[in-house]
Amino acid sequence: MARKIRKAAVIGSGIMGGGIAALLAGAGVDVLLLDIVPFDLKDEEKNDPAARNRIVQGGLDAALQSNPSLFMSKRDAVRIETGNLEDDIEKLGECDWICEVVVENLNIKRDLFSKIEKLRKKDAVVSSNTSGIPLQDITEGFSNDFKQHFMGTHFFNPVRYMHLLELIPGAETLPEVLQFMAKFGEKHLGKGIVWAKDTPNFVGNRIGVQGIGKIMQAMVAENMTIPEVDAIFGPALGRPKTAIFKTVDLVGLDTMVHVCKNSYDLCPDDEQRDTLVMPDFVNKMVENNLLGNKTKAGFYKTDLTPEWKKVRKVINPDTLEYEDLERPTFPCLDEAKKKETLEEKVKTVLYGDDKGAKFAWKMVVNGFQYAACRVPEIADTVVEIDNAMKWGYNFEMGPFEMWDAAGVKESVERMEKEGFEVPRNVKTMLDKGFTSFYKLENGVRYFYDFVSSSYKKVPVSESEISLAAAKGNNKTVFENASASLVDIEDGVFCLEFHTKMNAINSEIVDFIGKSLDYVDQNGLGMVIGNEAGGMPGAFSAGADLSYISRLCHNKNYTEMDEFLKKAQDGIQGAKYAPFPVVAAPYGMTLGGGCETTLGADRIVGHAELFMGLVEIGVGLLPAGGGTMNIWKKFVNALPGQVAKDTDLAKLFIPAFMNIAMAKVSMSAAQAVDNGYLGLNDRIVFNRDNLIGEAKKEVLKMVDDAYAPPVKKPLKVMGNAGQGMVNAEIFNMLNGKFMSEYDAFLARRIAFVMSGGDVNKNSEVDEDTILKLEREAFIDFAKEEKTVARIDQMMKTGKPLRN
Amino acid sequence: MREAYIVQSVRTPGCKQKKGQFKETRPEELLSFIMKSAVERTQGLKPEHLEDVMCGCAFPEAEQGLNIGRVANQMAGFPEKVSGATVNRFCASGLEAIALASARVQMGWSDLTLGAGVESMTFVPMGGNIPRPHPEYSRTNAEMYVSMGVTAENVANRYNVSREDQDKFGAESQAKAARARDNGLFKEIVPTPAYKYVKQDNGTYKKEEFTVSHDDGIRQSTPEQLGKLRPVFAADGSVTAGNSSQTTDGAAATIIASKEKCDELGLKPVARLVGYTTVGCKSDEMGVGPRYAIPKILEQTGLAKEDIDIYEINEAFASQALYSIREIGIADMMDRINIHGGAIALGHPLGCTGAKLTATCLANLEEVGGKYGIVSMCMGGGMGAAAVFERI
Repeated sequence: MARKIRKAAVIGSGIMGGGIAALLAGAGVDVLLLDIVPFDLKDEEKNDPAARNRIVQGGLDAALQSNPSLFMSKRDAVRIETGNLEDDIEKLGECDWICEVVVENLNIKRDLFSKIEKLRKKDAVVSSNTSGIPLQDITEGFSNDFKQHFMGTHFFNPVRYMHLLELIPGAETLPEVLQFMAKFGEKHLGKGIVWAKDTPNFVGNRIGVQGIGKIMQAMVAENMTIPEVDAIFGPALGRPKTAIFKTVDLVGLDTMVHVCKNSYDLCPDDEQRDTLVMPDFVNKMVENNLLGNKTKAGFYKTDLTPEWKKVRKVINPDTLEYEDLERPTFPCLDEAKKKETLEEKVKTVLYGDDKGAKFAWKMVVNGFQYAACRVPEIADTVVEIDNAMKWGYNFEMGPFEMWDAAGVKESVERMEKEGFEVPRNVKTMLDKGFTSFYKLENGVRYFYDFVSSSYKKVPVSESEISLAAAKGNNKTVFENASASLVDIEDGVFCLEFHTKMNAINSEIVDFIGKSLDYVDQNGLGMVIGNEAGGMPGAFSAGADLSYISRLCHNKNYTEMDEFLKKAQDGIQGAKYAPFPVVAAPYGMTLGGGCETTLGADRIVGHAELFMGLVEIGVGLLPAGGGTMNIWKKFVNALPGQVAKDTDLAKLFIPAFMNIAMAKVSMSAAQAVDNGYLGLNDRIVFNRDNLIGEAKKEVLKMVDDAYAPPVKKPLKVMGNAGQGMVNAEIFNMLNGKFMSEYDAFLARRIAFVMSGGDVNKNSEVDEDTILKLEREAFIDFAKEEKTVARIDQMMKTGKPLRN
Repeated sequence: MREAYIVQSVRTPGCKQKKGQFKETRPEELLSFIMKSAVERTQGLKPEHLEDVMCGCAFPEAEQGLNIGRVANQMAGFPEKVSGATVNRFCASGLEAIALASARVQMGWSDLTLGAGVESMTFVPMGGNIPRPHPEYSRTNAEMYVSMGVTAENVANRYNVSREDQDKFGAESQAKAARARDNGLFKEIVPTPAYKYVKQDNGTYKKEEFTVSHDDGIRQSTPEQLGKLRPVFAADGSVTAGNSSQTTDGAAATIIASKEKCDELGLKPVARLVGYTTVGCKSDEMGVGPRYAIPKILEQTGLAKEDIDIYEINEAFASQALYSIREIGIADMMDRINIHGGAIALGHPLGCTGAKLTATCLANLEEVGGKYGIVSMCMGGGMGAAAVFERI
């Protein structure tokens, strides 16, 4: 049987159910979204289908209105059919996968599954998204066939954005079913799979809430403040900026308390059970409905002054009064800021000697202990636990990776000296002479397996190519401080940027030409891709603004022109090279990053793609071929000779607006709508597979006997486009929707994109338009207001509207 | 000059652009139907008596192109010899067409003409399908192409027309229109056939006909409700969907005959065009047009503003209509101005509006037993037009 998921049922339309439905719809699966009939129907409503579906409709509407959006494209909602559990339950028989996301109540779930058991089509997979109820309790007494097709599929909130999907096999689940669902989750839904055991709260939440509970208790005991704790457990330790308390505000205090209680109740033998008891003040907050963001007040809240100024406040745990937020720091944090890598930052904080550093050390050690004691209770390997924390809690390092960063031997010595118990499995590992949980050898990453006391390969998907691993395996062809060319085998090479935010500087620009020459001599094709961390991460956030700023302030326009020319030559070089070049963008793909992508022969983009030409925000225009190439993407999308006779305004205005309004897509689907991605471009759901899929694309193009494009003049809108833009800008100026300076910039951008001073529907050489780009860029750079925009962006990260 | 008499003046309902009842009915059909109806409703008149059709249209292209004045008259079944022209003076096109049709009779060039107006803003959007402002002129004189909403904001700002006054004016227009509809006072409307394409059970579509009898944009609301709407054309503006005219589809027709032809065929004159004028103003405040055109037509015809029993002043925007009413000095005569509501409630089908307001003006003169009526409007590009009609 070729198992497929053509149609899936999601039962329960709350925030999780709605999120799963939206994700499935985005992945091209038809979805049946069901919920209960409201209990409080009036008599006249009892036969009204709309009233009976009120709950599910409300759930779908909430998903559609969510911000950030759970849908990659709201149009995906057409794939979702709504219904209720009384009138539409028979339709479950049509579904290949039935995913239960109802309230966390064993009897309700069992009752529902007993209905499903009768209705499900043979072979259909049934799963529960329960975050805490043991699966064995749910399926007790069900048929063998049901149990063979039943498992846990535990998504994290918000479903679209959290990479983690915990899969929990039941005792009798068929291996074929498990493998299929893992592959489906990874490839179709883009998730990172963690294999969890059927234990309470599974992996991510079991570890996660213990850490939070422990830190909250310790904060009270050691007289630390909420902002102090959040300062320590932020980026300096590879945690998200939301740290501890802001994370709980996001999740909801009630949810957090519930998950803690679940662990406490169901894990009587947990050696750290006491850490799951929330401090009193947290319980009081829940009683007072201070639940976090959803009630607009949690550990933090934002007040508005009468002058509409936002003021951040933080709760005082002793008084439960909100006080003005002051952002504290510690010497160890100031020191860590100066360090380049996360490993160095972690060491700086953990081995510091101020109050904050000592607190951090104690808490992190507690985390080490807890995580190590959970293997093999909740998962078989350290990899599963690390991945769960990275993908479900947005840690940059899981507990074992952080332990490696701190130095296992070094930290264990200190733990012993200070009287912390060292988990037995770790002690044994050290005794056997193994001093790290992970190691990299010949490009392959290994983890230490406690059971066999040996290193084993970290499993990776067949589509996954890790640049870090390849580089560790001496596959770097050449490199400089900003970029590397990496051999990803089979004749394909990857051009990798590795600057901060992957900003494009002159080193990268020089590097592109050199790389193209090398691949021309030695390879079949090239991928432009990288694997910077973060959520969503940055493929490239644009040109290196500090470099541009320096050129502006020094009035070094000759060098500016040379830089732009080289960038354009690189991008054109990639386009017209005799071999295929595929860009693999993900996350932030802005400005110059977007230009690089548009210049490639093909784009294989991640589903989470925030792509746009945003240069106008700093008073500039895309001059690395971007102004031309977005237009080209539009006009070349027309079939055959159609461009000759088409009203180009219908293409020109949206292409122009992309730049003039600095439009950024909120997903790859939107990038398609905005015209950044075309018919030949592909969307990949799993970012880990992006470079691998881009390489496949290169090889496919090679296999298809790749013919490079012919360089020919470009059909342009000409001055007719400028007239349209002049008129519309006048309206926007009058309506105060843009500043005089925006108008000045927009007019010139229209001039460049429409091919300059030419009649409508003329054909203009690409080199001519590229020259117009450079001239406009330099003219803009001479303007005080552009320089002011650049300076403010560098200083504050926010655009200046002057 | 010869006497030229209006013997018939009718209109279709006005229906909302894209959302209204005419959204799938092409403009040629609206126009040919209303022209045909005008002839049929005129006792003693047959199509073969017609000589020429002047049809106003503000965007005479695409479905409204290829000289709709000729195409639609042939679709109406008029004989081949009936000629036709399309007249464009933006929002005064319909009035211009009636004036030209009258003038042809007065000059002795024709005996029997038809002045009409049509606009399907659904089929041809405002600005046309392919707007092409001149690249160089637009750089120095972009105001020539300015959006109408911006001009309304300019009028409100420059002449202090408050948001509250605009919303009150908008709500009153709606209330007057609702009252007129509910009491059957729109005597000038001819129920008009329309059609839509309806999906059948087998998945194919079928053209289904139906009749539209009422203007479909009338929405009663209080000034307070309108006060909640967001400004559309300026970040800090006062012009909203609630105090602006609606974009609308519709057609209207007026038949003009010489005195001799009336006698010969036994046609009953109902009114005559006494005078017509146009005047230019600043394009970025085009809405002030009536403020200049109405005094000019009063002077031309030797009438005083008090002599006028019915004013039909097109409500392109509440701001410009209110400003014009105040400046002309007729704010104390609101019982004579747009007595059945105006374009805020009934819609402003650009090139049709002049012809539509003529039909309304004559019907309203009849209702109140008045003698003189004025039809006036502003125009994009900065102009005003006004005509005086006398009921006979």
